[in-house]
Amino acid sequence: MLLEALIKIAILIGGLMTAAAYLVLVERWMAAWIQGRIGPNRVGVPLTRIRLFGLGQPIADGLKFILKEEYVPAHVDKWLYYLAPMAILTAALAAFAVIPFGSVLPPDVSFPGGEEPIQLVVAPGIDVGMLYVFALSSMAIYGVTLGGWASNNKYSFLGGLRSSAQLIAYEIPLGLGILGVVLMTGSLRLEEIIGAQAQSGLWFAFSQPLGLLVFSVAACAEAGRLPFDLPEAEQELVGGYHTEYAGMKLMMYLVGEFLHMITAAFLIVILFFGGWHLWGVTGSSNDVNWFQAIARILVLVTKILLVVLLFMLVRWSWPRFRFDQLMALAWKVMLPLGLVHLFTMAVLSEYAERWAGGAAPWVIVGVGWLVAVAACLVAGTLTAVSTGNQAIRE
Amino acid sequence: MSLVLPLFLFALCTFGLTAALLAAGVLFGPRRSTRVKEMPYESGMNPIHDTRRRFDIRFHLVAIAFLVFDVELLFVYPWAVAARHPEGVDAAIGAGDVVSRDLVFGGVMVFLVLLVVGLIYDWRKGVFRWR
Repeated sequence: MLLEALIKIAILIGGLMTAAAYLVLVERWMAAWIQGRIGPNRVGVPLTRIRLFGLGQPIADGLKFILKEEYVPAHVDKWLYYLAPMAILTAALAAFAVIPFGSVLPPDVSFPGGEEPIQLVVAPGIDVGMLYVFALSSMAIYGVTLGGWASNNKYSFLGGLRSSAQLIAYEIPLGLGILGVVLMTGSLRLEEIIGAQAQSGLWFAFSQPLGLLVFSVAACAEAGRLPFDLPEAEQELVGGYHTEYAGMKLMMYLVGEFLHMITAAFLIVILFFGGWHLWGVTGSSNDVNWFQAIARILVLVTKILLVVLLFMLVRWSWPRFRFDQLMALAWKVMLPLGLVHLFTMAVLSEYAERWAGGAAPWVIVGVGWLVAVAACLVAGTLTAVSTGNQAIRE
Repeated sequence: MSLVLPLFLFALCTFGLTAALLAAGVLFGPRRSTRVKEMPYESGMNPIHDTRRRFDIRFHLVAIAFLVFDVELLFVYPWAVAARHPEGVDAAIGAGDVVSRDLVFGGVMVFLVLLVVGLIYDWRKGVFRWR
């Protein structure tokens, strides 16, 4: 039991840190591709001429970060200054305790304790799974706010303020977006949410497009990716809340942010795109053979990679919002859209089966899309003025 | 206990990892501090005034609005789970604790409408106006 948990933790932390390092490389390749440059392609095996398409770059970057000067400005609040990057990275990693990274491994009696199928999640059976993820992703706000405050620098302070306002504003649409999914499955456990989608074969992305929209936008904002990266805003605030950080502490901030994006991708895939489920390949029950078990992990990883690539594409193709536009989007667009979604899904989950009987799934899909398109049109027409780029005068 | 043990184990491991990363930076990084390096970096200007200044009231308003809406949403989660869960509303009706599903649904709708009224009030009061 304990050993099993430790092995899973080791796999997960190792995998996540490696994935974060190599996804940074992928992101730099993508940036180069979009900006018409070559990008990092030099670093390979040291002391030889073997380049390996730049695959040595993340290792070289990591070494460089360790060997950078450990400099602490004189004016900072030392305790909080060191605590802030630890808070952000710990919170970003610990959220993965309840996020499944596969389905189950089939039972194997040839080693002790292998009679039961092994669940590929660190803490299986936690009933409040989704709430735990939210709680820890909110902890990341402490990292940002404390970092901005402790640095004792005006740019950091402004970045920290902006960032905390942005993160708490988008927390609400984030919670609203998943309520539809919770209503339709009757569980907060991520394994059960995937199981429900695998059973019906109808991913929630098809029946709840509005929830997907609200959740993805909010998740993008929570991760601080480019259309929403006002906390950092290099052109306005030097570096935002991590202006005064260098070396290993800066790396912890950057890795923490990247992990937030990976968490967001995990949640989008698990809640709305069926997790490990793919029609006709992975099966849908908990009785698996080895082929299905491996296929499920591969399907999950592929989906997550696609969502991460989409995040990167968005980052390198869209400009940044202005702060009033950002707040208006959170409170005046995403929050009402989320409420509309919640009302629709509440009525559908309560009455669709009672009134429509066997046709209930079709009713849910039809009404879901109808409401999504109508709500987006209304929101778009009502907020057209405030998204213009003229200065607002009173 | 064995259910939540992995959670604490994971939190402990991640905390240890972050502490080790910080320690690695402190151990291997050189230190060559000068007076200029120790100044706050404000784009090359000599910093004036204290950083701990008063800030805009709107951040405070946003924080209050967040508190109201987030806590109210937390009250919706138990119902969202209980509406479908086999041990939820249906079991309560079977045990005679709740009269009907429609009554529960109506109660939650009243709660949500109050949330919308709060949103409209905030909106009209200009809490979300950022000029």
